[in-house]
Amino acid sequence: MAGYILRRLAFLPLTLLIVALATFIVLRLTGNPVDIFLDINRTPEQVTALTQRLHLDQPLPVQFLIFLRDLLHGDFGESLQFSGSAAGVVWDRLGATLQLAGAGLALALILGIAGGIACAVWRDRAVDAAISSIAVAGQSMPSFWLGILLIEFFALQLHWLPTSGYGDLRHLVLPAVTLAAILMPNFTLITRTAVIELMSEQFVVTGRSKGLSRARVLATHILPNAVNPVLSFLGIQIGTLMAGSIVTETIYAWPGVGRLLINSIGHRDVPVVEASVFAIAIIIALSNLVVDVLQMLIDPRIHRG
Amino acid sequence: MKRRPLLTLAALLAFGSPAFAADKTLTIGAAVFPDSLRSGNGSYASLSLLEQTNDPLIARDNAGDLHPALATSWEMTDPMTLRVHLRQGVKFSDGVDFTADDVVFTINRVLDPATGYAFITRIGQVANATAVDKYTVDIKTRTVFPTLLRGLSDIIIEPKHYYEKAGATVVAGHPIGTGPFVFQDWVPGDHYTLTTNKAYWGGAPKFDKLVIRTIPDGSTRVASLVAGESQIIEEVPIDLIDQVNESGSAKVNEISTTVGLVLTFDPSVKPFDNPKIREAFDYAIDKNLILKQILKGQGEILQNQVLTKGVLGWDADLKARPFDPVKAKKMLVDAGYDFNTPVPITTQNGKYVSDTDICNAVAGMLNQIGVKATVNVVEGGVFQQMSNAQKMGVMYMIGWYSVGDADFASVWYTKSGLRTKWQDPEYEALFVAARTTIDEAERVKDYHRMMEILADQTPSVFLFGLPSLYGVSDSVTGFGAAADKLLRLTQVQVK
Repeated sequence: MAGYILRRLAFLPLTLLIVALATFIVLRLTGNPVDIFLDINRTPEQVTALTQRLHLDQPLPVQFLIFLRDLLHGDFGESLQFSGSAAGVVWDRLGATLQLAGAGLALALILGIAGGIACAVWRDRAVDAAISSIAVAGQSMPSFWLGILLIEFFALQLHWLPTSGYGDLRHLVLPAVTLAAILMPNFTLITRTAVIELMSEQFVVTGRSKGLSRARVLATHILPNAVNPVLSFLGIQIGTLMAGSIVTETIYAWPGVGRLLINSIGHRDVPVVEASVFAIAIIIALSNLVVDVLQMLIDPRIHRG
Repeated sequence: MKRRPLLTLAALLAFGSPAFAADKTLTIGAAVFPDSLRSGNGSYASLSLLEQTNDPLIARDNAGDLHPALATSWEMTDPMTLRVHLRQGVKFSDGVDFTADDVVFTINRVLDPATGYAFITRIGQVANATAVDKYTVDIKTRTVFPTLLRGLSDIIIEPKHYYEKAGATVVAGHPIGTGPFVFQDWVPGDHYTLTTNKAYWGGAPKFDKLVIRTIPDGSTRVASLVAGESQIIEEVPIDLIDQVNESGSAKVNEISTTVGLVLTFDPSVKPFDNPKIREAFDYAIDKNLILKQILKGQGEILQNQVLTKGVLGWDADLKARPFDPVKAKKMLVDAGYDFNTPVPITTQNGKYVSDTDICNAVAGMLNQIGVKATVNVVEGGVFQQMSNAQKMGVMYMIGWYSVGDADFASVWYTKSGLRTKWQDPEYEALFVAARTTIDEAERVKDYHRMMEILADQTPSVFLFGLPSLYGVSDSVTGFGAAADKLLRLTQVQVK
């Protein structure tokens, strides 16, 4: 197991290198960052200074090598619009994003799996129809629309929660629910399918015929086996979660990396864009590793070379 | 935020009871939130925050008129020297006296290219600043520079001693100034907290704490106003005006900005080299309908000139062309226009109020007379790239702001402005003349003639002067919408 984790970690730099190269190329393909960052009233001196600062006066391969050299030192350069290093700027915002993504994911997993089990247990009954319908509706509703509805109802009508902003737990509720709504329906549907399939498996039938209660069979035989499909799906969807957090952060004025990224792309704050994409890539890569390790722990049959 | 007991004690000594000090808070929902408090960032969103802690020598009001601020009076001692007399007895919030040294330091810092001060062009013709005595400064220009006073209103005065002691990075993290508010706490991407400067030379604001929050999404911003979390919000989305006005707790406060939204042609592409064809396009656009339906009656129709009403140089004799699709079509047919010519109109989305909607409506109206117009929405960075390469396509939509003086907006129709391929020798000559004349009446005459040339030649279809819309809670009085979108809060009272 430890060897597997180490091998996976050894490949992490390669993944990140590819991400870095892709970001680097895209940022230069979409126009000269100097032209975009500097005001229309820019002076030639300012253009020269910024061009030198971003090493844009060097040939492209040299630029990339300089970028890699600095990257090895964890240095993305100074942010153009913030005071301070790009890495520091991203680091300051990372906590808010992790908090939101973590809460959203936890909510989606708990509610999604619980809903899926309920659907399977009361299959083709009213409960199943109701939860499945909500799941499909939730899946087809865009985040920004759901966000506006939630704000309207819980903040403006009921006055239970604040409309937006960052602060105590009450501020986290609506953004987390909005983010959870992106993934939850899938968790519900996958859990439902997995549980229903398992219900007709031999070992489940045997367990029931031995006289085990339905609840007991569900808890000890079905659920442990149903977790892995959900986890596989989760591994694929970490990227969706991060993308969803960008929209959610914008709706709720949440000071996370997602909004920082959008803003920095608009201004072509190259160091911050590179650092943000890098941070998100690390999160996705590490989350996938955690998911894979969990799957191996749960199901020893899964053996990865 | 953790508070250290010593600081609390200091706060107690300085301001008396902190319980009382926390009584009245004004919270503002900002649409655009700059990412740092570094001076000279080059955006008005940034200047709006900086002017809470720092004053310029000469300040604009909400309508754009100039008033004395840190300068009490000024005169030209020769055509290229402005002598400025400074307000005496003003202190920075750290207790140090404001003097001529700070003004000289600030201006020379702005002028140093290494500083990277984006507003440098506002005072671009300034050669240097020197102190005459403790409260008098001479600002020398390289040429006659009529927009100097207006340019100075974009430059905040910063403390020399603080820069020398702490360095620019520390200053950007914790600005100190002579302004109506004092820095308390800055959380990037979230909020900016300030306390009132009780000793403000212009009269202390009548509330105790100012919180400027970023709320990038328009509907969330409105929700926060209606829920009472914020008392003032910037940039009410046009389609939510009714929601604010009918909320029973807030109203929309509107003022025209100096941003003129225009559709610029590329006359280097046939058949748009023909002014008659450009003029025909103007007749085909029903500006009244767009103003009523899309802009909900907010803002103004440009009177066939790039300048918005009331700006220095605005020509009252010019009138917008009426909507006349029959005439438009006839003019095109007479000019031999090929109706199969594709006319993509390039625009950004979300840069200006309802920009994409306006562009769609314009394209639709051109389609009505048979012109094959389409809308080409591009991302901001791409737009700027196209603009710098001067490859905007046949037509593009953009907003030019004048901040009160025709010089700033008329430059975009000159060769050196690099934003249009349309050129006119007389216009060029008038532009230079107006820029190098101090006599205001003379300048206005030049600008009127320039506006006539633009109206006659139609390098652009002049569409709308855009509105600036604030949502203001009924619990707040004394707030006014600002044409330049800078927050002016000293007169605000919170119930």
